[in-house]
Amino acid sequence: MSQTGELHPTSGIDERVHQRHRLGILTITAEAQRAEFGYLRDALGLTAGNLSRHLTVLEEAGMVLVEKGYAGRRPRTWVRITGQGRAALAVELGALTELVRRHKQSAAGGI
Amino acid sequence: MDEEQTPEPAPGQAPGPDQGSAAVTEPAELLGEMTLLRRRTRVARHAYWFPLVLFGVLICASAPFYIQGHGPSGTVQILRSGGLPMPLLGGIPGLLVSRYLGYYWLIALLAGLLLTVLWYRRQAGQIGVATPARRAIITGAVLTLLAFSLPLISQAGHVSWLNALWPGDLVLRGTFPFLIISAGLLVLAWAERSRALAIIAVVYTGVALVASLYDIENIAFRLGWNPGPGDWDLTSLPNVLVPALVLLIAGGGAFLVQRRHRSA
Repeated sequence: MSQTGELHPTSGIDERVHQRHRLGILTITAEAQRAEFGYLRDALGLTAGNLSRHLTVLEEAGMVLVEKGYAGRRPRTWVRITGQGRAALAVELGALTELVRRHKQSAAGGI
Repeated sequence: MDEEQTPEPAPGQAPGPDQGSAAVTEPAELLGEMTLLRRRTRVARHAYWFPLVLFGVLICASAPFYIQGHGPSGTVQILRSGGLPMPLLGGIPGLLVSRYLGYYWLIALLAGLLLTVLWYRRQAGQIGVATPARRAIITGAVLTLLAFSLPLISQAGHVSWLNALWPGDLVLRGTFPFLIISAGLLVLAWAERSRALAIIAVVYTGVALVASLYDIENIAFRLGWNPGPGDWDLTSLPNVLVPALVLLIAGGGAFLVQRRHRSA
């Protein structure tokens, strides 16, 4: 809590989202109807194992849905963001934007 | 921000304080990265050149149905036969267009929408990100089926209140299907989150409205086109080919841009 009684922007942050790669997963899946595992891996520069671990965290938090299927004979894993995931992403991006705004404000004030 | 090997919290638990502090990075940098990721994903999934070209081709292919030589006798025949079967899709058969135009557009619009669905599905499989094009497809399909069925319901059931939905002069030249394509493109622009496609869709809608309400041949006459006595049946073609040209040029441009982005 700040001196003015205003909540600090980080107070609403969900630690499961406040992580570069998981935030990246939510950002990409929010931009598309669904994203394929391989696309996420390449776009985020992760190994398959690490991406799986991040997806497990988000899936258990109800922020993404993981769907398995086939494209011809090739197995495909698709990731879809949920409403809860979109809300968490909006909160996180809002908090980051507010932090940047405060930082700029304090820098302009010569603090 | 944690590194790739940062231990994950147990399921259902928030990360510990050390992990939390490791996750904190410069907010501006993180926001910049997310903006870049969003932009790259958007560019990667853009694939709207295909529906633009497809519907441009379908409009061009409809041109023969707008060339007719039946004259007023055809109109009389249609009116005597008990009304117009599908005026929203086919205009007024025998007056300005062929009596088969409505059937052409019913099949062409539904086939175009089906091909667009298959196209976006193929793109999603190849690139790995899917565009939520479903709403655009549903919009096009619903409008097509309404345009097909409402006049029939109105005639068969004598449902007078349906007349309030009559789009007036927009159906005279048989170009109402161009406006159904407009609606689909506008919804697709929203789905693609593409400002360029939104601009294309708005320009095309303007041209389609002009083609529906005005004889573009008048402009062609002023530009020096002087059709001979045997060519008068062709004078309705500018109203068909100009909107098609807008889609084909825009689709060609979008193809080049999207190919350049993919190869970059």
